[in-house]
Amino acid sequence: MGSDAFEITINCIKLILVFLLMVQAVPVLVWLERRGSGFIQNRFGPNRVGPLGLMQLLADAVKFLTKEEFSPKAATKLLFYAAPVFALIPGTLGFAAIPMGSPLHWGNYVFPIQGYDVGVGIVFILGVSSLGAYTILMAGWGSGNKYALMGALRASAQTISYELALGLSIVGIIMMYGSFNLSEMIHAQQGTMVFHAFGNTISTSWLPNWGIFYQPLAAIIFFSAAFAESNRLPFDLAEGEAELVAGFHTEYGGFKMLLFFIGEYGHMMVASGLMVTFFFGGYNIPWTTTEQVYQWALGLMDSSDGASALTSLVHFLSYMIKLGFFLWIFIWVRWTLPRFRYDQLMDLGWKTMLPWALANTIVSAIVIFAVSYSW
Amino acid sequence: MTADSFLFWMLAAVTLCSGLAVVVISNPIYSALCLAMSMVGVSALFATLGAYFIAGVQMIVYAGAVLVLFVMVLMLFDLKTELVTFSRGKISGLLKIATVGVLAGFLAGAFSMTIEFAEKTGAATTVPTPDTSKALGTLLFTKYILGFETLGILLLVIAIGVVGLARSKGGTHAKH
Repeated sequence: MGSDAFEITINCIKLILVFLLMVQAVPVLVWLERRGSGFIQNRFGPNRVGPLGLMQLLADAVKFLTKEEFSPKAATKLLFYAAPVFALIPGTLGFAAIPMGSPLHWGNYVFPIQGYDVGVGIVFILGVSSLGAYTILMAGWGSGNKYALMGALRASAQTISYELALGLSIVGIIMMYGSFNLSEMIHAQQGTMVFHAFGNTISTSWLPNWGIFYQPLAAIIFFSAAFAESNRLPFDLAEGEAELVAGFHTEYGGFKMLLFFIGEYGHMMVASGLMVTFFFGGYNIPWTTTEQVYQWALGLMDSSDGASALTSLVHFLSYMIKLGFFLWIFIWVRWTLPRFRYDQLMDLGWKTMLPWALANTIVSAIVIFAVSYSW
Repeated sequence: MTADSFLFWMLAAVTLCSGLAVVVISNPIYSALCLAMSMVGVSALFATLGAYFIAGVQMIVYAGAVLVLFVMVLMLFDLKTELVTFSRGKISGLLKIATVGVLAGFLAGAFSMTIEFAEKTGAATTVPTPDTSKALGTLLFTKYILGFETLGILLLVIAIGVVGLARSKGGTHAKH
């Protein structure tokens, strides 16, 4: 946590800020999703309350908070009320472990711009997000409703299946950077493309040194599996309206429903954040290194503390732009593609994505060994 | 009490209490959820010992995948009839008492041996190392390669056996 009171305080405040960032991003995303869907489907979307319908978020919040609070008669009370609270945990813990900017050097202190720096970053994030299946099962079973139970079973079966493809697809990335740590991965992706093969150093000046250029297949598999993990269209079989009313949250309303919403958007943000971190250079500005940005900031600021703060801020903005882009893709895909059938979904997961991810892992291992071996 | 020992006692209490709840609670769903809770507790205990990779894998594999399957299967049971079948009968009662006796014996043996061992060697001093996953991988693929590969083959045999069993009577497309 830190060595003295100042550092501990800042680190605690940081935890709260990351949580608030995640929660506060949700209304904006909901607005974006509705306006975006309107734009894609050639209609207006919410445009009555406030400029561009932005105040709709506040109106929604009031609606959620003042709705009648009820639970179905057949529900198991404990699980029914616990599920929405648990829904927040995976997204929050995962999102807090992703670096959002270059570390801030302030005097003798170093503050990473993230909730906490976990040594085995990616293993931790996969671990906590795999707990997401429980919230869905608790909600589905606790509601005492057959639609909810069926939806929950579908959702958790889907989450487990796609977790395999998701986990395997990033093994290549982990082998390439030789680390589980997200900060080290980002550090390896700065500047323009440079790599060592067969004892030679190959460099280009027109491509950024991003993971996607080394592991394109992994990027595709990871991003599609992430859609399935967060139960978004085209994989939202769990809440197929035509068959299951609304799946595991059929019986939920008001603020409990909103908590599930925040959980789902949290999953999306973790997935987008990981996508940026693994394949798109993390918080780095394309074609530049952290050091170059720091030198530029030194020219503007008098002190090294200020320059470091400016560097962190610039990187934070760069990360947010990249994150926003991937969140927009989530929304874009949702309103463009139709839903899969359930057997198609399982076939895609087990018979297509898993073998390709496995092949990618093996080929990457061989290539990494071959190019770094001294022949 | 230092922060480390507070963390240890809290996590140990959570793990043991939820472990106890698994056997005490009669509703299998709550039992399975408690088992998941104790798995998370064990994972956190690994993390306090500096074995971060094992902690993460424990969370992904046990809490995240194996137990989710348990819970899923349990949710499809008709719990009322299952409860009656499993909690009545003389033979099952005798079995329960016998199991408790064996468990108590094991526990007593484990405690006495631990105390004896601890008196001989003194308290263990562990220094958490920052990254143990590399060392773990090297050990698994050099010193313990035979056991590792054997386990892999065992799991493969199990997987093939399960598929064979499931398909032996026509699988999901069986006609009754």
